[in-house]
Amino acid sequence: MTALAAPPTAPGKDGPPQTPPPGRRLRKRGAGRTMKGGWLSYVILGFALLISAFPFYWTIVAASRSNADMAQVPPSLLPGPNLIKNFEQVLEEADIGKALLNSLIVSSSITLGTVLCCTLAGFAFAKLKFKGRGALLTLTIGTMMIPPQLGVIPLFMLIAELQWVNQLQAVILPGLVSAFGVFFMRQYLVQSLPDELIEAARVDGASTARIFWSIVIPIARPGMAVLGMLTFMTAWNDFFWPIIALSSQEPTVQVALRQLGGGYVNDQSVIMAGTLLGTLPVLLVFGLLGRQIVGGIMQGAVKG
Amino acid sequence: MPIARAAKRATVRLGAVALVGALLAACGAGNSSGSDSSDSAGGKVTLTVDLFGSFGFKEAGLYEEYQKLNPGVTIKQSDTQDEADYWKSLQTRLAGGGGLADVQGVEVGRIASVTQQQSDKFQDLKEFGADKLKGEFAEAKWSAATTKDGKILGLGTDVGPEAMCYRTDLFKQAGLPTDREELAKKWATWDGYLELGKEYKKKAPAKSAWLDSVASLYGIMIGQEEERYYDASGELIYEKNPAVKAAWDASVEAAEAGLSAKLDQWSPQWNQAFAAGSFATIPCPAWMLGYVKGQAGEKGQGKWDIAKLPGGAGNWGGSYLSIPRAAKHKKEAYQLIEWLTAPEQQAKVFQKQGNFPSSTGAIEKIADAKDAYFSNAPIGQIFGDAAKESPVQVLGVHDQNVMQQITNALSEVERKGVSSEKAWGTAKKGVANVIG
Amino acid sequence: MSLTATAKAGPRRPAGTGPGPDDGRAAALRRTWRKASPYAYIAPFFTLFLAFGLFPLLYTAFVSLYRVELQTSGEMEWRGLANYTALFSDEFFWTSLRNTFTIGVLSTVPQLAMALGLAHLLNYKLRGRTFIRTAILLPYATSVAAATLVFAQLFGRDFGLINYVIGLVGFDPVDWQTGTVASQIAVSTIVIWRWTGYNALIYLAGMQSIPHELYEAAEMDGASRWRQFIHVTLPGLRPTIIFTVIISTIGATQLFGEPLLFEGSISGGISHQYQTLGLYMYEQGWGFFHLGRAAAIAWVMFVLIVVIVGVNALIVRRRTRKEAGR
Repeated sequence: MTALAAPPTAPGKDGPPQTPPPGRRLRKRGAGRTMKGGWLSYVILGFALLISAFPFYWTIVAASRSNADMAQVPPSLLPGPNLIKNFEQVLEEADIGKALLNSLIVSSSITLGTVLCCTLAGFAFAKLKFKGRGALLTLTIGTMMIPPQLGVIPLFMLIAELQWVNQLQAVILPGLVSAFGVFFMRQYLVQSLPDELIEAARVDGASTARIFWSIVIPIARPGMAVLGMLTFMTAWNDFFWPIIALSSQEPTVQVALRQLGGGYVNDQSVIMAGTLLGTLPVLLVFGLLGRQIVGGIMQGAVKG
Repeated sequence: MPIARAAKRATVRLGAVALVGALLAACGAGNSSGSDSSDSAGGKVTLTVDLFGSFGFKEAGLYEEYQKLNPGVTIKQSDTQDEADYWKSLQTRLAGGGGLADVQGVEVGRIASVTQQQSDKFQDLKEFGADKLKGEFAEAKWSAATTKDGKILGLGTDVGPEAMCYRTDLFKQAGLPTDREELAKKWATWDGYLELGKEYKKKAPAKSAWLDSVASLYGIMIGQEEERYYDASGELIYEKNPAVKAAWDASVEAAEAGLSAKLDQWSPQWNQAFAAGSFATIPCPAWMLGYVKGQAGEKGQGKWDIAKLPGGAGNWGGSYLSIPRAAKHKKEAYQLIEWLTAPEQQAKVFQKQGNFPSSTGAIEKIADAKDAYFSNAPIGQIFGDAAKESPVQVLGVHDQNVMQQITNALSEVERKGVSSEKAWGTAKKGVANVIG
Repeated sequence: MSLTATAKAGPRRPAGTGPGPDDGRAAALRRTWRKASPYAYIAPFFTLFLAFGLFPLLYTAFVSLYRVELQTSGEMEWRGLANYTALFSDEFFWTSLRNTFTIGVLSTVPQLAMALGLAHLLNYKLRGRTFIRTAILLPYATSVAAATLVFAQLFGRDFGLINYVIGLVGFDPVDWQTGTVASQIAVSTIVIWRWTGYNALIYLAGMQSIPHELYEAAEMDGASRWRQFIHVTLPGLRPTIIFTVIISTIGATQLFGEPLLFEGSISGGISHQYQTLGLYMYEQGWGFFHLGRAAAIAWVMFVLIVVIVGVNALIVRRRTRKEAGR
């Protein structure tokens, strides 16, 4: 179990000795290489971009054509005229509007709750001394290894007992348990929050709670933002548990996608149109916050 | 030390607030989005109907009609194409006791599971006076949904009398006769059907096979049998049942002769193949007509026809409407399903969708129905005869899953060239796995 | 235990509310509180964790000892370890175990290798690098469901784009659904597509934290770019690589959504050719409704992951020690 704890911290050890000032971005000037990329690099990267973007393009193509077009050889590679029609059919066949709203509620609740719980716990694990800290941390990290499938049966029984089947809290509450989040915030705070700051505050007579509010939170904010974004995307895209706990009457987007094959005419183009609708919000977030997400993941990689 | 004290309080509060807040946010969110449609205030009722495949109520405009007749009622339907998916989700919700619709569809392959294992989870319709309807349904249909102690757990919608659908344009191109009477004679037996298939294969247009998949062939053949996987005492007998063996062997023969388009039923590829003309014949239980129309689309109009099934009459599928005990509006739901399964409505669904009625009154009504899409085939007569002659089937708890394992194994023969013996072994292991 | 800590701290609060003259008691309280308060911080997480994390885990172990069917979940029949022992003679279980392993290798190895290569390129000074980084991460933002639906179509046997291209090049179309190797490659492709960019960024971050002086020193020794990559970058990335290997391995062991949605078949194809352990568990539990057997499979998966991570840890430790000894 220590293996999991060890490697992520290790980059810090191997890294530069100068710890960056707390709260700032970890973009070390001079670190890394500054050699210019040759044309070959551009070609290879261009190819990689093409591959990562093509399925999106293809979704648009398929979503804007008809089922019959999709069964043609050679396949059509350009968008067609049916996009709006297919969207309409999606809205008619699966309650995508409701699904989007549900997904929004679920993902934001999970995000807020997770960030709060994990920051609290991460702070305690990073900077407070208490009995059983090591054991509890190990336990937490250990649960990262549990396949989500493992708990599903009793979790379902529990949800059934609570009469929560087909209700959003059945997806939200279990979604708040993020061992990764605790671990992530701990790593973040271990590195960005100098012990001296806390000690100085203590000497001034500040209590732990005050320290948490006025020192920890401001410093943790970038980390919280990263965790929030990651959590939101994971929650939005999660579907293993939602397809068990929810149904087509109370779907999240992923459940609706799974159900979309359920129309009277199971139409490939309509399915792709649904996929497109379900993916657009995430892509939108990505378009707006792409730079921050990239920064966050890289930062998380070094810290977490 | 006011700060320390305040801080203490704040800390505790923080913990409490975080927890309660999380709980509240979650519950509030869950409730506000409202999973229940039970706004029965002011006499208004929203009935939820959860179905699989295509029952055809919506398509035949029945919900609108019912809502007009009953202004206080709004009907909301959800559906899943794949029955296996549907059944999984229904079972999950039955176990969880939540999220059930007021009306749930049940496939005939599952009805034994409902009557034998879950009679406590479904509403006994006798309480609403369903027993007076007994004479209006085909005997076999009615008795299958009745428990040993006389509870009535579902009202029949359609049955699945079997015929053969074929593409006249492809037949013509391959130089085969296209007249349904003549074909019925040529494929009076399954051997005749396979022979014709081999002939078709010799002269067939490119990329066109004789039939969609051997799984459908097996399915339609086994539908002609009275005893299939279970005997009347509930014992699993498929291994020694000669009928299963015969259907298996014929399917293997079709697979090995390369007569099939090797499509997976209900898959996107299968759906696309309807329009693309990848196969010339498809075994057609009555409910398949609507599916063919939907998938082949307008362009398929007039290219299809229907002939009598080789080897005699049979029945594949058909469904029931049931009301879970946990449903919110049981009484209103019963009124709805009684209306939906009444002869007039069943006849309408048939005319629109091809789902063949289980109500004897409806069968009379539609005796001379013809279908323009299928070259004006006399579907009322073809399916009516099949319905009359098809055997009363013995149903078992795991019928559907057992069949799935067998057709999976057949697909191995079809698509991977696995030997019949080996595939049968796989099927047996699969069945054992299902039964658990 | 965290709950009791909060509760213990609670009732004493009122005692200190008034401006307290008895400093001794207040100090004692403060000391108690200081010891207890950390638990308040972890309480929200651990409460949820106990209810929705630990309880299900332990209860799964309990359920796995019974015969429980979803349709009749009220009736539990004691089976002892029979659910586990049955797995050893269960051909489908072994198939899914093997598949999990092969798909795991097929997806993880190329994914990490390509990620490493991409990271290396991204580490150069490039025009529009923010754009490139964002674009390369795009697949990570899509859901398993969406990605799989799109790829399932691209991999279609009769009308799929990939087979069309293969045909253009002059090969026979591949049956991406039926063939064992073909279907596993197809499923792995989805995983690779979704995760390569993500891992590339992780590696890039690791590369950027390698001190520049090391490269300068290597350059002075006349090391080529390739040698620098081998002798400076790779060793510097070791911890990051191990981290990604472990995370990807865990992910591969739990693989579920891609094989489920690839054909919508819970058996992972007609002959279970790409059924993973996760999917087999799902089939047992939610296809055949054998909850007890599904629970047993779930525990086997858990043990498997622990073993894999343990082996990883051992290897790391040994190598670290060896290097330290050098």
